[in-house]
Amino acid sequence: MAFILKYSLKVALVMLVFFLLVSCYSVRIVSTKGAPMPTEQFDRDDWYRDKMVVEIDTIIKAGITVDDITFRVLKEGCETGKLFSVEYKNTFGGSLLYLVTFGNKRKVKLKYVCMKPEN
Amino acid sequence: MATTTVFNKTEWDTLHKNGPFPLKQLYITRLEGKANLPSSIARYNDAALEIQRLLKDSKDHNEGFRAYGSRWSMSSIAHQHDRVHQNNLMNLDINIFPENIHPQSLYDASNLYFFECGNTIKEISQKLEEHGKSLKTTGASNGQTIAGCISTGVHGSALGVGAVQDYVVGINLIIGPRPEDNIYLERHSKPALNSAFAQKLNARVIRNDGLFNAALVGLGSFGFIHGILLEAEDLFLLKRYVRKIDKQVALELSKTMDFKNSTFTIPAEVDAQGKPLRPYHYKVFMNPYTNDRDYVVEVMYKKPYQLPYPDPFSTIQKSIYKDLIYLFIKISEKFPASIPWFIKRLETQILPAVNEETIGTLYETFWDAAYQGPAFACSVGIDSRDSEKALEVISKMTKKEGPIPGIFAMRFVKQSDATLAFTKFPITCMLEIDGILWTKSQNLMSLEDYGKRMIEVLQQNNIPFTLHWGKNADWGFLNLVGHMYGDQAKIWKKYRSSLLSEDMVKLFSNDFLDTIGLSDFDAEHSEDMIASMLEG
Repeated sequence: MAFILKYSLKVALVMLVFFLLVSCYSVRIVSTKGAPMPTEQFDRDDWYRDKMVVEIDTIIKAGITVDDITFRVLKEGCETGKLFSVEYKNTFGGSLLYLVTFGNKRKVKLKYVCMKPEN
Repeated sequence: MATTTVFNKTEWDTLHKNGPFPLKQLYITRLEGKANLPSSIARYNDAALEIQRLLKDSKDHNEGFRAYGSRWSMSSIAHQHDRVHQNNLMNLDINIFPENIHPQSLYDASNLYFFECGNTIKEISQKLEEHGKSLKTTGASNGQTIAGCISTGVHGSALGVGAVQDYVVGINLIIGPRPEDNIYLERHSKPALNSAFAQKLNARVIRNDGLFNAALVGLGSFGFIHGILLEAEDLFLLKRYVRKIDKQVALELSKTMDFKNSTFTIPAEVDAQGKPLRPYHYKVFMNPYTNDRDYVVEVMYKKPYQLPYPDPFSTIQKSIYKDLIYLFIKISEKFPASIPWFIKRLETQILPAVNEETIGTLYETFWDAAYQGPAFACSVGIDSRDSEKALEVISKMTKKEGPIPGIFAMRFVKQSDATLAFTKFPITCMLEIDGILWTKSQNLMSLEDYGKRMIEVLQQNNIPFTLHWGKNADWGFLNLVGHMYGDQAKIWKKYRSSLLSEDMVKLFSNDFLDTIGLSDFDAEHSEDMIASMLEG
């Protein structure tokens, strides 16, 4: 019995990890005009390697009556206030959180790059 | 005042991770805000003073100093182990008016544009488009800064145009901390701007063909390039076709450039007699590990700019999981025989889609190239007439001694006047091997060894060649620069030593220049060499 329980737990864990992995994807929208703000960092190894990126990874307590939420682009990391690209990441955990809290808690994972200042 | 932020670092790297290289300090200069200093010329001059302050500080501390833009070079040409200056926030542009033109100039004022060093090809293209103008050519993408492009010889595949440096007609160099170290340089045989304009920049004018041509592809070592005057042209469209054609036809075209008498025809691109037109751009893609009967070629024809035309951008762009690429490389390092199989599988991702047709401006055609993981690129320049032979011997070596995780391509560029331009042949074929950076293993040769073998094989087959300054090669190969450029390399050094003081020659040198033997001061230089040959 103990063996079956242990085996089932393992299978459940593997399935959970699998669903967590496949339920995580991102989509990026990129401007065809303008140039991205460069960075002085050399350590990234992704699409943002040569760009100054602002990352938001937070849970917003919205309240169940709230429909949409607006994020304002602040000056820090974005002196032009103009967007070059925005990436939104959807996760299984985020969707689950939204469901079980009836929309009260919303996980937000965003990455955005601003335009380089024009002189 | 323009302000410079200093970052203490221990390492510096290229965009494509070809390093890391040691570093002490990174400098980033930001211009004074428009609100405080509305005049572009005032802000430009203010930035020049800031650069001179940095040069003085580096000189006083006996440190080297090197400017770079976007870090796109894969060789270590942009690196300096003491101090590097990232100048891509210095992106002013200054309008040129008919009253700024030299009385003997043959340039049309409406085609001349002055850009500060840190403007990228993308930014320049957008600014020109606002005036109904376009660059004449670019590289295959748009992220490089204009100063970086000309310093390293960035090119496209424009048969009748040349590389980026070939439409530059004036250069503003800062060669030291003194007021007289601010220089505006152009050709005396092709003057562009008058001295009154140079005075506005507080610059001393030198009009001298030899000096200009030496400084044009200056390898980042002829001083700090602060501004560039370039000749643009009216906005145009490029009609692009991708076709699969018989290998022999593709190679014959590469060798002869005789499009008119070729069997390769695109029905819409023929003259009144039905003969094929000469394209603006011709590129051939080759997978060295297959014996395909056909090659994929990309040709483009210049068209007048007219609206409307379909949007050349596809909405969705997909890229492969980087982890998959890393896995492929790890397997390749262990089992090199798997490389051809992997490359065949990735062909659809690497090569353009056959029968694809697009139309767009130069800016839209050669758009963003996103970072896709550590990469290498080797690029040799040969006379187009030697292209088939060079391809044959390098492919043979690659198959026999490799394989390596890369794919071949050939682009074709008109001859440059720059003293150290690698596009030195009447039409230079740039034979490129691009791919994913790998680590040497017991079974897989290193990139350094591959670079060395490329040079050896070309020498053994008596094929004259050059190497792209911004790409991977065995730069320490014995007498490499002498072999490629002969006396031109000596002339380049003489001009550099005539223009720069000995301490500034040292300050603007780096390990790359040491390696290729171009960093030393030539004491036998002559001041007459750099005399201005034309007033006005």
